[in-house]
Amino acid sequence: MIAQTLDIVTTAAILYAVATGLLLVFGVMKIINFAHGGLMTLGGYAALVTTQAGWNPWLAIPVAALFGGVAGMAIERFVVRPLYARPLDAILATWGLSIIIGQVITIAFGRGVQFTQAPLSGTLDLFGESYSAYRLALVGIAAALGLALTALLQGTRLGLETRAVIMNEDLARGLGINSALVRFLTFTLGAALAGVAGALITPLSSVDPNMGVPWLVNAFMLVLVSGASLLSLLAACLVLGGAQVLVATHFSPVLGGLTIAVLAAVILRIRPKGFARD
Amino acid sequence: MTEARRLSLILAAALLALAAIFAGPTVLDTYSVNVLTRSLLYAAVALTVDLLWGYLGILTFGQSVFFACGAYAAGLVFTHMDFTPGNAALALALGIGAALFTAAIVGWLAFWHGASALYASVITLVLPIVATQLLYSGGTFTGSSSGLSGFTSFDLSTEAWFWLAGSFLVAMTTLAYIVVQSDAGRLLVAVRENEQRCKYLGLNTSRLKIRVYLACAVIGAVAGYIYAAYAMVVAPELAGFVFGTELVIWTALGGRGTLLGPVFGALIVDYESAQLSGNFPFVWQLIIGTVFVLVIVAFPRGLLPMLFDLPRRLLGLLRPRAAVARPARVALATLDAAQTQGAEVGNGPALAVTGVARRFGSLTVLDGIDFKARAGELVSLVGPNGAGKTTLMRCIADGAERSAGTIIVNGHDIGRRPPEACVALGVGRKFQMANVFETLTVAECLQIARARHSRPSLWRRAQRLPLPEAAMHVIATTGLDRQLSTPAHLLSHGLKQALELSMVLALEPRVLLLDEPTAGLTKTERMQIGAILIDLAKKQGLCVLLVEHDLDFVREISSRVIVLHQGRIVLDGSVEEVVASELVKQVYAGSGHAGIAHETAPKTGGQEVPA
Repeated sequence: MIAQTLDIVTTAAILYAVATGLLLVFGVMKIINFAHGGLMTLGGYAALVTTQAGWNPWLAIPVAALFGGVAGMAIERFVVRPLYARPLDAILATWGLSIIIGQVITIAFGRGVQFTQAPLSGTLDLFGESYSAYRLALVGIAAALGLALTALLQGTRLGLETRAVIMNEDLARGLGINSALVRFLTFTLGAALAGVAGALITPLSSVDPNMGVPWLVNAFMLVLVSGASLLSLLAACLVLGGAQVLVATHFSPVLGGLTIAVLAAVILRIRPKGFARD
Repeated sequence: MTEARRLSLILAAALLALAAIFAGPTVLDTYSVNVLTRSLLYAAVALTVDLLWGYLGILTFGQSVFFACGAYAAGLVFTHMDFTPGNAALALALGIGAALFTAAIVGWLAFWHGASALYASVITLVLPIVATQLLYSGGTFTGSSSGLSGFTSFDLSTEAWFWLAGSFLVAMTTLAYIVVQSDAGRLLVAVRENEQRCKYLGLNTSRLKIRVYLACAVIGAVAGYIYAAYAMVVAPELAGFVFGTELVIWTALGGRGTLLGPVFGALIVDYESAQLSGNFPFVWQLIIGTVFVLVIVAFPRGLLPMLFDLPRRLLGLLRPRAAVARPARVALATLDAAQTQGAEVGNGPALAVTGVARRFGSLTVLDGIDFKARAGELVSLVGPNGAGKTTLMRCIADGAERSAGTIIVNGHDIGRRPPEACVALGVGRKFQMANVFETLTVAECLQIARARHSRPSLWRRAQRLPLPEAAMHVIATTGLDRQLSTPAHLLSHGLKQALELSMVLALEPRVLLLDEPTAGLTKTERMQIGAILIDLAKKQGLCVLLVEHDLDFVREISSRVIVLHQGRIVLDGSVEEVVASELVKQVYAGSGHAGIAHETAPKTGGQEVPA
């Protein structure tokens, strides 16, 4: 019972960390960034390079953010910017980018599965249950990410301008907000977050050139049911991630892997706004 | 060009393609014939992606699943039962049945009234993921991750399979080509261009999408069946997301909305992949990925249209020609008045609105709206911005809009009916901004407006376009009849408004809803429209409901005026009553917030209020 609750909470935390970058980009730009999976792979390999160089595994997180952010800048400038008026085409172009990222990584690192060193190993005793310390740490990291983003959006001038662009871009531009800059920074931040997410999940699984793709669809579905709110994303991660854990343990892992996508599709059919409040 | 000549040209091209297919094995080596047989079948699936995405505007990642339906039906039946002609037919039927069943579920999920284009794409994205996982978890029945192989199949030579696959592709491409060029095929483009306008022209766009989707599923399943019977191996990757996106990539590279582009895109890329991926597997994928991104960003029309444009441009450089106006392909005609009854007239008033309210959360935009209007009346709705005029129009034209109350059109309660069903009851709505099909010509726009009355042909193009007298009158008065082959986006603002009005009139409505039909028009154009409207009400017996800001115009044409203010009717009376009313002046002068009974004197004349 306790183990299952911990499973649900840590799964939700991982999903939250994976989906925030996508949510930010979707919220501001109304564009689904299908390169998110590729950028996560990039973050995973950044973590691999960091630990192979013998650095502290925690350093993987800023390094992955840097890799993702720099790639994001280039992607926004050369691919996403011309496609603002064609959101469905932006999905395709970013999917093409994720193919490119995957192939470049394959050429550089080979197709094989590799493993990184986890920053935390062993287990922690919690409520009489010994549980993976790293998974527990991820809850803290995801919470920190969520709080930092909320603070950025609610507490800074850039955040205010970003929220203005989310609500009404034309009006925001009319008021002198440089929405192109807001979009650029948002995409860069979203890409950096994707990199961080990739670095965070590598100790749980392994690193390979297609590691981001399975995460992409789940993150995408979570974002669609959440609208543009970090809070409803949290709710979506807890409910759908929880359902995934329950289905996987009580029925079959295969069905568990489908839970988020299928449930999200049904939720959107019944309630197009999903978990968003208004 | 006559219809017969056009169709025989298409058939001649198809025969030529078939001849090339039959000559293929004699000039190609065995390896290429083998690879191309697969590519030909993939191309047939890419064709369905183009029909859905290029023509209908539904970006689909899941066409691979229908291919897998046919392939797995063959694989499963031939593995678990004996290979007999009877079982082969059974497998084909099962494959098509499974594809239709899946497509029906997807259609129900993705194309319901109000679903967004993104949501439809999402569903087609979830589909292959679910399908592959189901195949993985099928154990020995589906062969799990290794799939099924080693089953017996039809005993045909390599050449025969090539001919079969090629003939199937040619047949499907020809069929698709004829359909998209036909009157019915134009509806697909209309739905992609402006689905809302289609619904308000009485077309059930959800049903249209589902039908096309089902047809595409069948094509995919047959291609998959041939594939499995030829390759004698099926694997879960056939249903996968990666194959689904590859189909989209081939379609985009070849040129969406061209049919031939995606076919050649699939053939060339898949064939080259087989040739090159042995030596440079990752570099080849990298090149495809890069070219794909480049095409999407810089050449969204794809490579085939560029290829066709190039010689034309070069020729244009050498020999600059003035653009020649295309002669109208369609001749207009006036329908016999006896045939234009519109919806059957029920008892009582043409339009009865009782207790209608519209709330958005806690905000009440309309409240307690009651009025009746007879046939032949021209009722103007006036009121300041935000009074709820357009919202009221929307409530009458779409049963799902209002929060409370009943609306009866021609004696029929509209209930919760969608716009297309309201059109069937006799409602015609003209939008505030001219709302036409921008890339279609004037004649084509009008043809689509008539699609509800005369079922468009699936293979022919009509040469005659009979329109009701009212629509013909608008077209003749405004001079649209001289611009029949002009694309709508090239029309002036006034002509666009006139085009939309004639499209709505082509529906033969009994209740005509017009939202600021004169906004942005010149004085002359306004006079013309005014005269037409009076004529429609007086002579044709239409019940016209008009939203207007121009009070002079209202005074000239209306038989009755309803004044809306803050979501309520504050006055309903004759033109004289309204013009004489202090109340109306106050409402327009903006002193209304605290209560209309205020004694504030109007600051302006209150005659015309800018929109």
